Amino acid sequence: MATTTPVPTETECPPIDFGELKSNCVAPRPSIMGQKRGLRSILWLSFKGIVRGLLTTLSYFRRPSTVVTQQYPENRDTLEMFERYRGRLSLIHNEEGEHGCTACQICERLCPNASIIITKDKKNEATGKPALDQFIWRQDTCTFCNICVLVCPFDTLEMTGDFESSVFDRRLLVFNLNEYAGPTAGQLDKLEDDELAKAQMKPMNKYQGPVPMCGGEMDGIPKLDVEKPTDA
Amino acid sequence: MADALLNPLSLTLSVQTSEAFAAPAMSLADRASRALESGVWGAVMYIVIGLVAVLTAVSVLGLVMSYIERKVAGHFQCRLGPMRVGPHGVLQSLADGIKLLFKEGIEPGDGDKVIFIGAPIFSITATILLLAIVPLAPGIQVVDMNVGVVYIAAVSGLGVMGILMGGWSSNNKWSLLGAMRAGAQMISYEVSLTIALLVVVLFSGTLKVSEIIESQQQGWWIWRGHGVAIVAFCLYVIASTAELNRTPFDLPEGESELTGGYHTEYSGLRFSFFFLAEFANLFVFSALAVTFFFGGWLPFHVGNYEGFNSVMDLLPPVISPIFWFGSKCATLIFILMWFRWTFPRLRMDQLMRLEWKVLLPIGFANLILAATVVLSGLYFFPSAT
Ligand code: SF4
Ligand code: SF4
Repeated sequence: MATTTPVPTETECPPIDFGELKSNCVAPRPSIMGQKRGLRSILWLSFKGIVRGLLTTLSYFRRPSTVVTQQYPENRDTLEMFERYRGRLSLIHNEEGEHGCTACQICERLCPNASIIITKDKKNEATGKPALDQFIWRQDTCTFCNICVLVCPFDTLEMTGDFESSVFDRRLLVFNLNEYAGPTAGQLDKLEDDELAKAQMKPMNKYQGPVPMCGGEMDGIPKLDVEKPTDA
Repeated sequence: MADALLNPLSLTLSVQTSEAFAAPAMSLADRASRALESGVWGAVMYIVIGLVAVLTAVSVLGLVMSYIERKVAGHFQCRLGPMRVGPHGVLQSLADGIKLLFKEGIEPGDGDKVIFIGAPIFSITATILLLAIVPLAPGIQVVDMNVGVVYIAAVSGLGVMGILMGGWSSNNKWSLLGAMRAGAQMISYEVSLTIALLVVVLFSGTLKVSEIIESQQQGWWIWRGHGVAIVAFCLYVIASTAELNRTPFDLPEGESELTGGYHTEYSGLRFSFFFLAEFANLFVFSALAVTFFFGGWLPFHVGNYEGFNSVMDLLPPVISPIFWFGSKCATLIFILMWFRWTFPRLRMDQLMRLEWKVLLPIGFANLILAATVVLSGLYFFPSAT
């Protein structure tokens, strides 16, 4: 009769850690093939397998609540994207609107498609350190490989669930991601003078936040309403 | 019956005689025989009307069944199926049909043009011929010949010709492989299919489809023939799934290895012919299973228990056959769809092994057992036949 393989212990087979996902060792299912079994045992196992398969699909069929299809344009308002979905790249800003990017350019160098271009201020007048000027991300060439998010030593990038990015001109897919040009949240906190810190966060031009770099200035394309007040 | 088994030749010949069309009531088949006897024009009229009716049935069946199949498949796989065209996508197959009509029919340059064009027509002709013998309600049957079962066995094997022709003439290795698989598979499973049907022929003692149904007045063969009929029914379901090229036996078109199998090179209307034939065949094979094992349009009867039988007969005579035949047929179609969307595909050698080493011996043993059961009268209500 069927001899079941014992479940390996944790030390024999430690769980593999994939960040949020953990894979635990499971005992391999007794296979019908390659084992010495009686005919009756094989028939019984096959029958059980067939019935189990049929019942599984039937249970999906009976319960419409198991349907995973999203009726997208209709449920646009209530649509919740999945946590690990890779949509638009975003530079994380905290509640005060401060980002954490030190303009170290690691992501720029590691991006396989050169989809990130970072310009920086070599020496910020207040902190004396390099500060981010513009974080430019080209969605038109990005493959959403997630490398930039993984390599950033300051965990300041993330992939959002925002997937509605169809446009009539691919130049609209070049974005500026940072809200202001200036030092990181940590460096700003270290400054004694609050006024000075505020001054560092002044908007630099109209391209701030997730804004297309070509916003609103092309023929045939209606003006984007994402323009923010300039302070030039 | 004994005559029929001993002398099949005389049976085949007697199709020509008027006796072949004799039926107890004034049925459609009756009228057909009158029309045939009344002269050439009557026969032509009847053939034309019959063809139009069957063709309409094939197209309507194709439209309805493809929609149902997609809906059922969706829900089996946690999806919704078609949802966009019309409420819950009911017009989807219509839209697809119109789309296919307007598509270009591409022919492969190095292919064999004549056979390539002929293949889908051949395929759908086989379906039409098969649909002609399906009894839908008392008298509603285009032809009712006295060698019906032989006819079914012959014509259902014809469909494979269309597939072989399509695969050969496409001059494409995937098509050819798919067609060769189809040939091997359909010819093999044809044997089991016929053996399963022969069990019911033994029970009812006739080859005529309408008489097979009449013989089930006392109860359907599936339960009157107890074990033997149930085994035969299981064989029939497995073999007809293979005959229909549906998963788990869909190797001829196995899309993961052969793109589209024998219809890889087909497009537009020609593809839709294959498609229609496939779905109409699904209906035909379910309808035949209903006819042979579940009493066709007959309600559920138990022997001579008048009280029970009269409860079953409560439906008015017009609705009753529609209800009984429709519900039985729908259940069987659903089961075939259920199989399709549950099981993984077999490998070619497994497929052949299943037929020749498992199903065929079981089928023969079952046939011999059935003969014993019939001779000794060990089935329920033997006096009825
Ligand atoms: S996801 Fe990949 S391709 Fe896109 S910007 Fe990041 S590193 Fe470059
Ligand atoms: S996003 Fe991260 S990796 Fe890229 S420049 Fe800023 S701090 Fe460096």
